[in-house]
Amino acid sequence: MNPMIEMKNLSFAYTKDNLVVDDVNLTINKGEWVTILGHNGSGKSTLSKLMIGLLRAKTGTIKIDGLTLSEETVYDIRKKVGIVFQNPDNQFVGVTVRDDIAFGLENLQIPRETMLEKIDKYARKVNMQEFMNKEPQQLSGGQKQRVAIAGILAMETDVIIFDEATAMLDPKGRKNIYEYMKELNREGVTIITITHDMKEAVDADRIIVLKDGRILKNDTAQNILKDQETLEQSNLELLLPLDVLYSLEKENVNHDALKEYLWQSSLKG
Amino acid sequence: MAIQFERVSHQYVGMDQKGYLAIEDIRLNIRGDGELIALIGETGSGKSTLVQHMNALLQPTQGRMNIFGIKVDNLTKKRKDVKLTPIRKQVGLVFQFPEYQLFEETVEKDIMFGPKNFGASEEEAKEKAREIINVVGLDESYLSRSPFNLSGGEKKRASIAGILAMEPDVLILDEPTSGLDPLGRNALLEVFNRIHEELNKTVIIITHDMNTVYEYAKRVLVMREGTLVYDGDPLKLFSKKNIDRWNLDKPEVLALAQDIENKFDIHFDKPPRNKTMLKNALKEALK
Repeated sequence: MNPMIEMKNLSFAYTKDNLVVDDVNLTINKGEWVTILGHNGSGKSTLSKLMIGLLRAKTGTIKIDGLTLSEETVYDIRKKVGIVFQNPDNQFVGVTVRDDIAFGLENLQIPRETMLEKIDKYARKVNMQEFMNKEPQQLSGGQKQRVAIAGILAMETDVIIFDEATAMLDPKGRKNIYEYMKELNREGVTIITITHDMKEAVDADRIIVLKDGRILKNDTAQNILKDQETLEQSNLELLLPLDVLYSLEKENVNHDALKEYLWQSSLKG
Repeated sequence: MAIQFERVSHQYVGMDQKGYLAIEDIRLNIRGDGELIALIGETGSGKSTLVQHMNALLQPTQGRMNIFGIKVDNLTKKRKDVKLTPIRKQVGLVFQFPEYQLFEETVEKDIMFGPKNFGASEEEAKEKAREIINVVGLDESYLSRSPFNLSGGEKKRASIAGILAMEPDVLILDEPTSGLDPLGRNALLEVFNRIHEELNKTVIIITHDMNTVYEYAKRVLVMREGTLVYDGDPLKLFSKKNIDRWNLDKPEVLALAQDIENKFDIHFDKPPRNKTMLKNALKEALK
């Protein structure tokens, strides 16, 4: 296993005495898909901002692909790690859709022709190719979000963090991006997703559950998904079929075929 | 009728001077006496444009609106005798990520801002804040807190309290639960349900979450490419065979209930609307 991200004794606080991230030790391997779950305020987003140097840790270290994050390395690290946030209005920087997707690429100083190819390719990936000359105020929230995703995809980083990046999308747009995450992961991109939706956690290699800034659980997706106690502690819900299955078991209902069906449905997410 | 759309269209004009028709030929009636309506549709289908007409933030470029007796059309803005301020009070609009609009030192001051703006005295506005904070499920201790130290769900509630304090008859919320954990989401949905049932206000929720639509809404509106393609009962909508065409997902509870009926010798007399109803119906059926 080759580590892609290594966090050691990582802590962070916005105010003096309130640790939002509290002594986190976590290694994410190259090509892994890791989902971070947790209640609102558990430190998920703060952790992701630490990983790309948007926030500076109070104590501890972060290594990305062997490179220790510091003021000197932060720009090199952002060539390796991309992040998409939930709210598109905080992310749209271009005058038009094309400009916006180009923004990150311009900093990489790549030839113009390659750049145009990439813009076109990733606009298609998020289904925004027909909106290239539109201005942000002509776009809906979900469309802006798709543009933000394309901008990060175009950077072709080794790691992409999706911080509730699909929460603003309609069901079809969500599925579309989710399928593409899987494709990227198959191609070797390390994927980190932050979500409250258990259906988006079933395909992860590993799930990290954060609670009050600490790692509560670090386990396989299968083990976390059926762990009712952990989920409840984190304000999360069991997948619907599993929830129904547990309630039938509690009432000692005998119907093995139905129970097996509910279990299988849960694994599909 | 509280809000009436009479063949309303709205065209945006961009920097390139090209027009873009965001909503087209909308006919719609919203009552003011306690409807709970879900508004759904793909991103870019015109949902946000539609609701911004409901409190006259946008005016039709064609057709006309009647909002609590005030007529609004493409000439309204030019006329000096038509005041839109009362509409803004009667129809409260909560935007996406309302928590970004909190700006005062305390939650109390944030809630008081609206009422004071509409002429309430300092004391009246204070009294209002105390009353409203409970409605959104926060206690009075929150009034003295800074909005910036609240959790995501608490911030959303505080900002919704600010709109409610203006005592609107119709409350419109644009994706109010996005970003909340399931516990926070369910609590907030219960708040809306209470506003609708106990305060008898009409609540319109824009959402992509079909489970919310199915469990809470009495009426659902579907927008597609700028036109209103469905206005009616949620169960009927999700029972339609061709909902895939509109890129809508089936609510999970309904999909699972139908799957169970198809695969096993189990029949539900009434389709369960939420998971508690589904569990109870199953237990009943398997007794």
